[in-house]
Amino acid sequence: MSNKLTMALLASCALGLLGGAAMAQDFDYGKFDGYTLKVKLIGGTQYEKLYTRIPEWEAMTGAKVDIVSSKAHFDLDREIKQDIASGSISWCVGSNHTSFAPQYGDLYVDLKQHIAQAELDKYVPGTLASAMVDGRLVQLPRVTDVSNIYYNKALYADPAKQAAYKAKYGKDLVPPETFDDFKNQIIFFADPPNLYGTAFAGKDEGMSGRFMELLRANGGDIFDENWKPIFNSDAGVAAVQWFKDIYDAKAVPAGTVNYGWDEIGAAMAAGQLAIDLDWPGWASYFSDPASSKVAANLGFAVSPVGTSGHRGGWSGSHSFSVTEQCDNIPAAVSFAVFMTNDESEMMEATAGNLPTRSKTFSDVVQWFKDNNKPALAEMFPIWQQSLAEARTPPLIPQWIEVSNVIWPKVQAAIVGQEEIKAALDEAAAQATTIMQDAGLLK
Amino acid sequence: MKFLRSPRATPYLLLLPAIVVILAVVLVPLLVSFWTSFTGYTLTKPATLFQFVGLRNYQRLLGNADFWWAFARTIMFITIALNLELVLGLGLALLINKITWGQRTLRTIMMFPMMFSPILVGFQFKYLFNDAVGLVNNALFDLGLIHEPIAWLVEAGLANFSIIFAEMWMSTSVFAILLLAGLMALPKEPIEAARVDGCNAWQVFRHITLPFLMPFIYIALTIRSLDVARAYDMVKIMTNGGPAQRTELLWTLMTRVGYQNSQMGMANAMGYISIIVSIAFTVFYYRKLTSARAFMGGAQ
Repeated sequence: MSNKLTMALLASCALGLLGGAAMAQDFDYGKFDGYTLKVKLIGGTQYEKLYTRIPEWEAMTGAKVDIVSSKAHFDLDREIKQDIASGSISWCVGSNHTSFAPQYGDLYVDLKQHIAQAELDKYVPGTLASAMVDGRLVQLPRVTDVSNIYYNKALYADPAKQAAYKAKYGKDLVPPETFDDFKNQIIFFADPPNLYGTAFAGKDEGMSGRFMELLRANGGDIFDENWKPIFNSDAGVAAVQWFKDIYDAKAVPAGTVNYGWDEIGAAMAAGQLAIDLDWPGWASYFSDPASSKVAANLGFAVSPVGTSGHRGGWSGSHSFSVTEQCDNIPAAVSFAVFMTNDESEMMEATAGNLPTRSKTFSDVVQWFKDNNKPALAEMFPIWQQSLAEARTPPLIPQWIEVSNVIWPKVQAAIVGQEEIKAALDEAAAQATTIMQDAGLLK
Repeated sequence: MKFLRSPRATPYLLLLPAIVVILAVVLVPLLVSFWTSFTGYTLTKPATLFQFVGLRNYQRLLGNADFWWAFARTIMFITIALNLELVLGLGLALLINKITWGQRTLRTIMMFPMMFSPILVGFQFKYLFNDAVGLVNNALFDLGLIHEPIAWLVEAGLANFSIIFAEMWMSTSVFAILLLAGLMALPKEPIEAARVDGCNAWQVFRHITLPFLMPFIYIALTIRSLDVARAYDMVKIMTNGGPAQRTELLWTLMTRVGYQNSQMGMANAMGYISIIVSIAFTVFYYRKLTSARAFMGGAQ
């Protein structure tokens, strides 16, 4: 899955440049006068800017949009599960994510049956491939997430630090290319409580995902080809040891084991972190002097490689889905396409997000140059490099459940409550039960 | 039909709407959730509601160390929080009862914390106790009392202390208000008689005020024990049960299992076992309440 995704992503970027003329065909958004489309959308500052385009779709189609729910994704996920359980799917379009989509069974329509192939060809093929569940296109991706490095250039440009680092590690002080260098630099830069080397998402899927990323970079994986959990391997132990080392060295805030994405983003913007392995969506926030103390010194780099010589490339896409029980599927499909069309993707990309349409990649770099944002123009080619080794979590309904047995045990090992191997063995045993119950593992 | 038209049926007919409503909103959900605890019910697969697995969920819970740790931690959490809230609430009530000017204003101010949503209180204390940017650590740094940040929400003891502290901040006034009501209803004659007989303040409190207040105390304890046993919002925001399940309570665990993992059958089995905690506390306090009232001559 991952290699295919990688190749497809690379191929798509090239195709995006070459195939512009073929993609010029416009989608027919239709007319739905007097119809009210009920939608459940992910809330939060970085997601809601796109919703300012909704009035345009309303004016174009004559329909009205009723946002019946707008919540953080985990809350929205809970609400959608309650709707499924109570059989009350009275809405048509819902925000979705590649990590969540496999859980929802046949809640959403196969969009391949409702959207012409010519329109689907405008999306990055690899991104579209990861939006499929059991061969069904259950979501239209709106932005892609892949791990990348943000760093404070001022720290790397300091001659005293350059000399000290060279003397200590025998290497030049440049953004880390391996996880070993990454760890050394995190510990090297740390000067708590004013400056920490980094912070990591220490709970929920954030912790499981970061662990998975390092595990894969070290040559391991969550499951083998028969869905047997194998994350308690040597590669898994080394991955947890990496987190434990920077935690024990007090190079990260002690509270990082309780941090989610917002706390990490806030710490980076406050200039409290030297390096941050994070999502593209923060680029606009970090590079805005009004919100970020590191705006003038913000550097970008591809994520580091592990002992296998590869990147973990944790990736996924936010998306829109259309429910099977929608009373006006053409209107819902029209809305989902509109929210991910060239103009919408341009809006997402100018905020620093990785777009899901091939054409936008070249358009947005030019836009950054034209609008005097050289740092963000420099960022996009780096983000594309990271996409080359992008890998989603396992696209199975049990992923979130397995994630929920992994992260508490990884936490326990990091804070020294359990020995690393014992903690991972325990989590693997619980994950095995989950996979057996699901019938995926005999 | 004949019975329905007779006067004897009138009370039953009048009660019928209430009985139907209670059946619909209490008994039916209880029965359904009890049934699901014997199934492999997965929220996202409605058909699993009929996948009977017998006692499998309960058997797995018996051997699930995480669940029993959360169970024990919840009992500990209730015990510590209630006792501290009781002592502080009683102190507050006694102090406010002494005030003759501005008592109404103080009573209103005292109720402010109760007006906040637990989620808001969770965010407030998460910020206060944040190790990097929190006000508590910043104050301690500025006073020169610490030289490296205290991980309030990470260390097992401190994290549980922080949550109990937030819980107390929000709910001590519940005790204070209920006990103040008791103090205001306290007859003055026995106290005056005791003073005439030479009792000091402590003796008056120990032998007259406190016994009279005991029914109020047990009612407050019963209400609050049910509240605290369902503690979720604040813990979810402050630590989400972590790190390493150090602050995991029954409701954070059940919510994760039921909603994030979609394993509602298992979550309901957890719920039915955990009801034991609430029943035990309620029965204990109810017995104490009855004996306290009997002591006061209020019940047989």
